[in-house]
Amino acid sequence: MKSLILKDLYNIGHNTKSMLFILAVFAVAFIPTSGVGAYIFICGILCSMMIVTTFSFDDNSKWARYAMIMPISKRDLVIGKFIVLAIFCAIGSVFGLAVGLIGGGIAGKITFSPAAIVELLFLTLAATVISLIFGSMSIPLVFKFGAEKGRVLLLVSFLIPAAICFGAYKLLAILGVELTDQTVFILLCCSPLIALVWSYGMYQISYRIFLKQEL
Amino acid sequence: MDTILQVENLTKQYEGFQLDHVSFDLPKGTIMGLIGENGAGKSTTINAILDLIKKDDGTVTFWGQELASSKQLKEDIGVVFDGINFYETLTPAKVGKISGAAYKQWDEYLYQDYLKRFGLPLDKEIKTLSKGMKMKLCIAVALSHKPKLLILDEATSGLDPVMRDDILDVFLDFVQDENHSILMSSHITTDLEKVADYITFIHQGKVLFCKTKDELRYKYGIIRCGAAGFDQIDKAEILAYRKDDYQWNVLVADKEKARKKYKAAVVDDATIDDILLLYVKGERAK
Repeated sequence: MKSLILKDLYNIGHNTKSMLFILAVFAVAFIPTSGVGAYIFICGILCSMMIVTTFSFDDNSKWARYAMIMPISKRDLVIGKFIVLAIFCAIGSVFGLAVGLIGGGIAGKITFSPAAIVELLFLTLAATVISLIFGSMSIPLVFKFGAEKGRVLLLVSFLIPAAICFGAYKLLAILGVELTDQTVFILLCCSPLIALVWSYGMYQISYRIFLKQEL
Repeated sequence: MDTILQVENLTKQYEGFQLDHVSFDLPKGTIMGLIGENGAGKSTTINAILDLIKKDDGTVTFWGQELASSKQLKEDIGVVFDGINFYETLTPAKVGKISGAAYKQWDEYLYQDYLKRFGLPLDKEIKTLSKGMKMKLCIAVALSHKPKLLILDEATSGLDPVMRDDILDVFLDFVQDENHSILMSSHITTDLEKVADYITFIHQGKVLFCKTKDELRYKYGIIRCGAAGFDQIDKAEILAYRKDDYQWNVLVADKEKARKKYKAAVVDDATIDDILLLYVKGERAK
């Protein structure tokens, strides 16, 4: 497992400079206009997309075939991808928070009060969770269709969870349940659990797809 | 004779191609060459042996155990494919760290030693290495987790003779330990003539023969004769034959017997290339 994670981190490390450049451009573009919260979400989601890039590297070097001759199982390989995704999401969101604090301070978009900091910490957690949910949807798609087609289908992986959330929101409205601040707070607290359950489901689908594949 | 790898009735059906009940045993301390033309089924055999494709039938056992039954078995098997499977921006140092994290038996000192011996730089990206250097890196990785069996799929293809010779020397060193074995597929038969103890010939998905190299080298021969001479040859002795413009080339399993029996004909020694060509391009006696 450690070997799989190391491999993906080393591979993606080569793209660090370009990703930092994109995030810096986005910081200039979004922090003054949309605020620090939006920037944290953008960072989390952009970093979660890097998981598809790791699949491109793997396809390019026929890594999966090689990994199977190492003491690594197909299950390990799939779990490894989800762990790497979680690392990307966490790094992206925390990076967004750090740059957001600096950029927000410079742009005068945030106050450094304890309440504002706590709110940003919650937003960072929410960004990690949401990017994890979006990213984990892309993994089974890439296992099924490959990195190139998977990249195109990335949009699907973002639309499906969004559609589910929108559907749930509408259903609650029909049932007369109003989303109060307290409900949102409870949902936010439950969100890591929701992300775990969702990711577990996506892992099971990914594993079943990969298990059937011949390398 | 202890067997490291036992392949029995390995069968895999594809549209337009079938790996057909392939069987052979690889004894300890030996090198077996898997030969055959492109598309004969060498790589399919290796992929099925390594569980990379699902076999339709047959069994493959390493030291009596199936590969799927134990992760530990993979520690004892080193594999080299025809290309490098690490992404091109990695360096040999990073490849070592990745591989070291995967194998319990990984020996970092041994790896560093192989890198030095092969003249591989630690911090140069893979994309800057020549094909031969990449292959040496793959071999260094495969050997550094101290395997007992090496499986090589066209590992020397595309390399120049000097590089191939260096690599073949490494393989010969490896089998100095009598518990080690190598299964190597190659269509460069001269390499196999240099190092192999056994030759398994696969043609159109079937094993045509699995024999010691010495038997092929010292017993097999080719009768060169005209049409009249060909008619006199006992058809039961013919393994395969091919007619050139003015000459018949007839592969026989006992060249000394042929020399005594057909004195008017020329009987040459047969190289593995000759044998492969006659089986693939010639006709087989009915």
